Amino acid sequence: MRHRTILEYKHYRYLKLAAFVAIIAIVAYAVYSTPVGRYGGSPMGYALGTVGALLILWLMWFGIRKRQYRGSSGNIQGWLSGHVYLGTALIVIATLHSGFQVGWNVHTLAYVLMLLVIFSGFYGLYAYLRVPPLMTANLGDDTLDSIILKIADIDRDARRLAVGMPDNINRVIQDSVEGTRIGGGVLAQLTGRVRHCPTARAVTDIQAAVRQFKGDEARANKDLYALMLRKQKLVERARIDIRYQAILNFWLYLHVPLTLALLAALTAHIIAVFFYW
Amino acid sequence: MKILLVTQTRNKKGQAARSEQQIVADALRIGRGTDCKLFLPDPRVALHHAQIRHGTDGSNYIEADAGVISVDGSLNRAGKLQAGQRILIGPYEIIVLPAQPDVDLALSLELIEPLREGVEEVRSKVRAGLKNTWLSRRLFSWVAATMVLLAFIAWPVMHATSPDKSPERIENLKADITPDASWDVGPLASAHAGFGRDCGKCHQQPFVQVMNQACEDCHKTIGWHFPLRTPEAKAVHAAVFPDTRCASCHRDHKGPNGLVRTDATLCTDCHRDLKTRHAKSGLPDISDFSKDHPAFMLSILQPGRRGDAAIVRVPQEGKAAPRENSGLKFPHKTHLDKKGVRSPDGTVTLECSNCHLRDEAGIRFKPVTMKDHCQRCHSLEFEPKVTTRQVPHGKVGDVLATLNEFYAQAALADTPIDVVVEANIRRPGERLAETKRQAALTWAADKADRIAHDLFEVRVCFLCHQITPVVSDTNATTIATAVATLVAAPAADSRPASWTVAPVAVTQHWLPKSRFPHSQHETFECAKCHQVANSKTSADIAIPDLKNCRECHGGNQPSRDKARGTCETCHGFHTGSHKAGVPAIVPGGNLPKVTQAAPDATGGGAKK
Repeated sequence: MRHRTILEYKHYRYLKLAAFVAIIAIVAYAVYSTPVGRYGGSPMGYALGTVGALLILWLMWFGIRKRQYRGSSGNIQGWLSGHVYLGTALIVIATLHSGFQVGWNVHTLAYVLMLLVIFSGFYGLYAYLRVPPLMTANLGDDTLDSIILKIADIDRDARRLAVGMPDNINRVIQDSVEGTRIGGGVLAQLTGRVRHCPTARAVTDIQAAVRQFKGDEARANKDLYALMLRKQKLVERARIDIRYQAILNFWLYLHVPLTLALLAALTAHIIAVFFYW
Repeated sequence: MKILLVTQTRNKKGQAARSEQQIVADALRIGRGTDCKLFLPDPRVALHHAQIRHGTDGSNYIEADAGVISVDGSLNRAGKLQAGQRILIGPYEIIVLPAQPDVDLALSLELIEPLREGVEEVRSKVRAGLKNTWLSRRLFSWVAATMVLLAFIAWPVMHATSPDKSPERIENLKADITPDASWDVGPLASAHAGFGRDCGKCHQQPFVQVMNQACEDCHKTIGWHFPLRTPEAKAVHAAVFPDTRCASCHRDHKGPNGLVRTDATLCTDCHRDLKTRHAKSGLPDISDFSKDHPAFMLSILQPGRRGDAAIVRVPQEGKAAPRENSGLKFPHKTHLDKKGVRSPDGTVTLECSNCHLRDEAGIRFKPVTMKDHCQRCHSLEFEPKVTTRQVPHGKVGDVLATLNEFYAQAALADTPIDVVVEANIRRPGERLAETKRQAALTWAADKADRIAHDLFEVRVCFLCHQITPVVSDTNATTIATAVATLVAAPAADSRPASWTVAPVAVTQHWLPKSRFPHSQHETFECAKCHQVANSKTSADIAIPDLKNCRECHGGNQPSRDKARGTCETCHGFHTGSHKAGVPAIVPGGNLPKVTQAAPDATGGGAKK
């Protein structure tokens, strides 16, 4: 059976619901107008604003719901599907609520934060749909742990071989074993690249030294080259795997704090509007 | 040389074990290389790290080769070995043992830093997962939310709830923006922008909609939708406008021109079917100017008997065309004759603007007055030989008094006046005899009477006013009769003792419930709307009718080649908003009295 994404959940149940909500909002907006135009303070504006605010709270509840493994209200797949589609419909509702009026104020701040949250969510959705197949393709039958085991084996073998080699070769092997870092800081994880990787240097140095040796040393050098090449491939795959994990998570570092900022701005928006009613 | 090497090892439990071996060599080579006599198989050791030689002096010397050696903690290239020295070569520790028999040198060797190898070593260099970096969702969330709460709730609320509400507090704020500026939902109306930094001026109570009181603090004289003079009117107003606030219609923060509604629904919501709002309403239903606007109701000033005047409301398109009864005679046709009219300056052709001058507001016209617009041609001279004197344009009594005074003065004066042809001329300083004085006064009274008759009934007043002779008048206030009584002269003939002038009431505002800015209609000739060229009587009303307006003005919906014609184009919502200086008219109620001093009213029955 073909794998179904959360977008297709229950034959697009939540797409239909979100489209229905959005169309109702658009029709209501089009039909209802006040003599002074369409704006957030009109009865229709209040209605759309209330729906939008409740929707935001429901969407935020997903962050709590997904941590409750024994939730009784539907499965987490359905919740996520609804989260995505109704979150998208929120763009329509909030835009109509604003009456397309923007300004340098807390009201537009809340609107912009909401858009940032939603679009960061779109990126997350893209990542969730796009990255896992790439991770599988990258790792194959391996896991990050099995790759680490293989690297450890290569390191041991390489060291043994290098002990009998001249110091320059031994040194680059030693550097590769001790200095090859996988992952690291935010940038290293997100890019999957490490500058001046000792393993990459070992590969080039050993290859460059191939003409120095004869007999046993030449054979050992050739073996070392093969080992370092294998190690380089493994390290690269491990780094790409970490990069994919970072991509899968990074957007949440925007999505979640922006959501909390949105909650604060939404509160300020509502207080401001009714404080100066 | 002969060397005793004691190798120390430890098993996994940390238990020590030692083994001894004797090495014979010219020099003791130390290194990772298999050709080294002291073979140290560790990648951290150089291939040929160092060597130890036996000197000719019997001492032993160590010398670094390709590696680095540390002797008693200091890095050395070479040195003389002494018992007890501690030499580090890579991870190995070599201790020089005390001299022993049969050997040149005794050394103890131990691997003190075993090579770290295996999975844990690799894993220690792997850092995966953003949660293991400085990124923190929790921290970011707290910081972002707290900043928003402080900047957009705490700061504005502290400002708004400050007990100091004085305008100076706002004015003295140095910053360009006030703490609550972020709450502003949109630009204020231009009239309110001046105090826009002081939100509390209108938003006087938190969480309470802007109260009418806030508006009335400045707009003290604004009228209601209709006058609330009677309890009934107040009751109707309360029923028709329940819970209606100023701000129900006047929504601010909608841009410079957003405060005043100009949409038709403001009016037609109720007026298209007014009975549903107010069953006793006598007003016609109107939904659109282009469709069902009734005929204009003219407000015509009606002169009363006692010098007062009242406004009557007459539909313009009734069974009979309404007429004006201003008390004046004025044929526009005569005055607008293309051939011209006689004037002191010769024949002139008059235009509308010779008499009808726009008021300062550019909306209507200044009243036409006898003094400014008529008297230059219609002079009030009475004595052909004295062109410097005119009778006053005022009360009949004043006219008669002027005449009597003039002729009595002429008759009695010391200095003869050439007009006094029938009196005896005295010498200068001669005292007038009583009989002569009586005769002079009799003559003067008679002359004044005749001239008055001539003015009122034949030449001057009669031309514009409706004059009625008063034959038997006992009114002692008339100076002619007073003088006549005084001199006891019998009435010469049956000429009337006085006259009455019909009260004058010139309607100044025919459509006081609308506004019509003439300045905005300047592109048209006056005659486009006011057809007076053939009007022979002042009773004709030249106010354009509904059809005339509809030639250019459409209705609620935009239409081709027509200017907009919503209710607000001509009407205002609040009483007083559309008719400056004209008293309010109560529909169906008693007509208000308009004080108007009839005979000395500013003359001219000209139509607008």
